[in-house]
Amino acid sequence: MSKILGDNPFDDDEPTAVKKAPASEDDAAADASPDGDAGDAADGFDGDGDEWSASSVPDAVRWPAGHDMPIDVDDDVFLGEEAVVPPGEYGRTHGSTIHEFPEAEMRELERRVDAQRTPAFPLDMRNRVGMGFLWKRWRQLAMLGRSDVVDDFGRDPRATARWEPVLDFLYSKWFRVETAGLEHIPATGPALLVGNHAGTLPYDSAMLVHAVRRDHPARRDVRPLVEDAVFHLPWLGPLINRIGGVRACPENAERLLSRDELIAVFPEGTKGMGKLWRDRYRLQRFGRGGFVKLALRTGAPLIPVAIVGAEEATPMVAKVTWFAKSVGIPWIPVTPTFPWLGPVGLLPLPAKWMIQVGEPFDLGVHDPDAANDRLLVGRLAEAVRARIQDMVDEVRGRRKSPIG
Amino acid sequence: MSPGGSTDGRVVAITGACTFLGTELIRRLEEDRRYRRILALDVRQPPSIAASPSGSGNGAPQGAGGKTQFVKIDLTQPTIDAEIATLLDREQVDTVVHGAFLSHPTHATEWAHELEDVGTMHVLNACASSQPRRLVMVSTTLVYGAYPQNPNFLTEDAELRGHRDSRFVNDKVRAEKQAARFAREHPDTEVAVLRFAPILGPTVSNMFTRFFSRPVVPTMMGHDPLMQFVHEQDAAWALKLAVDSTATGPFNIVGKGVLPYTTVLAMMGRVPVPMPYLVARQLAKALWAMQVFDSSPGLLDFLLYLCVGDGARARDLLGFAPRLGIKRTIQDFIGVAPDDGATDVARAQG
Repeated sequence: MSKILGDNPFDDDEPTAVKKAPASEDDAAADASPDGDAGDAADGFDGDGDEWSASSVPDAVRWPAGHDMPIDVDDDVFLGEEAVVPPGEYGRTHGSTIHEFPEAEMRELERRVDAQRTPAFPLDMRNRVGMGFLWKRWRQLAMLGRSDVVDDFGRDPRATARWEPVLDFLYSKWFRVETAGLEHIPATGPALLVGNHAGTLPYDSAMLVHAVRRDHPARRDVRPLVEDAVFHLPWLGPLINRIGGVRACPENAERLLSRDELIAVFPEGTKGMGKLWRDRYRLQRFGRGGFVKLALRTGAPLIPVAIVGAEEATPMVAKVTWFAKSVGIPWIPVTPTFPWLGPVGLLPLPAKWMIQVGEPFDLGVHDPDAANDRLLVGRLAEAVRARIQDMVDEVRGRRKSPIG
Repeated sequence: MSPGGSTDGRVVAITGACTFLGTELIRRLEEDRRYRRILALDVRQPPSIAASPSGSGNGAPQGAGGKTQFVKIDLTQPTIDAEIATLLDREQVDTVVHGAFLSHPTHATEWAHELEDVGTMHVLNACASSQPRRLVMVSTTLVYGAYPQNPNFLTEDAELRGHRDSRFVNDKVRAEKQAARFAREHPDTEVAVLRFAPILGPTVSNMFTRFFSRPVVPTMMGHDPLMQFVHEQDAAWALKLAVDSTATGPFNIVGKGVLPYTTVLAMMGRVPVPMPYLVARQLAKALWAMQVFDSSPGLLDFLLYLCVGDGARARDLLGFAPRLGIKRTIQDFIGVAPDDGATDVARAQG
């Protein structure tokens, strides 16, 4: 902890090399200084004098001499670099370093003063009390269960790994999902999975993602596009984002497809999720055909998926809308369990699930400009809807009973 | 690319020379032989050229170089446009960099409006009269606004929605709209607008560095948007590139990678205080009204929804590719040495 411009409680490695000679004025000012700062006075080397330079101007000299910056510095001069004095020089250059690097030093100090990056008293406690270890520990604790790298759309690999067992439990034990037709999903390249949607919470997209990740030979990651109503739900939205969900909008979908990702869309959207029990497995209008336009524009294959079981997992017998709008969600579902058992009621019932992946639609006969042909887009969207409806009916016929 | 050449070198006028980007740009232009003269326009003398007359020691050339001249210009004065126009004509300025924008909300909203919105009008009026070859304007990605409908990456053609009750952002939106109109009406002048993501770094001071310098930071309960930063050195480099280049139009100047807000706080070691949005908003309003809190309450929306720019256009047309990822930027901001050589982006992709 021996940087001239204050010590940094977050420093992981002891900056042995950073012995920065104090400005000569410091010696003069030392006597006048009112307080000794705990951190700096202790090492007895400098700086306890000027309160301003010792404690309230933190972090100005950043790069310990031992650290080479792993970036190419071509025309940019990082101030910290030039202000660092090699360790051996310390004794000899005491008091004279300031003249060797006058601009860097002064520029830095002036900036600090101008900027008033100097927290007022109660806020700089951290620099005053030598509790660096505590803050370091706090950072470690805060980073538990999350990684310091997420992909461009916000998927956190560590969070994904943490939730994987939960999804696997739901997949193999709770819903006993039977998946068929995964061979229709290409091992590489972009593709659009189009599925039917049901359930108060998007368990169906989670199960589809997990099925592909678990049982597809290429173990591909599916990025499900999540409708706003779910994506902006408090707590659940960020969680879905951390484990791979992406907000459903054409820009995001196109960007994902251009990166050769496999995406899952549920064109029914909230209309599909808002189906009541009596409308189960009756596919709703397929949005405005945005997914067809997307497939036409990008040339990505369009793969229909029928998911059976989600309706029984969270059967919605009624929905309350008058109160929900003010909370920011489209409706509050009423299931046999939900409002009555509290949050526990949101857990799905153990219905028997089946997922059937169908043969890809051949959209290659249309050129990309066909995306502007609204009638064609509408017709194709309806064709896809009809195919998925057929698949759903067929799979329902195959399933022995909803609790199987 | 030819230094010298037939012309004597370019002449640049920089408004807001005392801002971080202004001083950094002056420092870079001083070292570039293609630039003959730099006019630093501001209400007070930038510290870097203040040292020039009485150079202490051996009088090192950089920073205090002989190219820069300070001209006192107050953009809030009513007839300042004529004054700037005269100056541009007299000095044969070919590039105007308009960077006189606040990096932090202020309670003097009327004055801020005069400086940012009306000040931009003055600068553009002067440019319309003296027709410089190039105009570079500084802006921020905040002009897109944080909205639930935002795609994960906002391209430059996204609508500038600003924010419903943040004058800090809306003044910048208005300045940008003026610049866009100016670009349409004056095709002879190349107009480039740089929308900087929140700039973080050890020396820069703006609303973000102040916000993240606090040990205790609010979070919006149940919300965790992705955040994006650009390192201060990358930002300054991008501004220099934009002055060098001939590319026109808006450019998002953003760093590599994104991170969730709470992860940013965890990496910085800040203590998050989750608050319901409505409570936080009322609290922020009250603290703002009492002038205790120096971030306007409208900016809380940026903790709710994401507002992340796509840097592809700057990469393709300006040749700007950020050299520091978000993790290194944060580490540099809080003063932690990098833990290993691998860049975070390389690991994210690999």
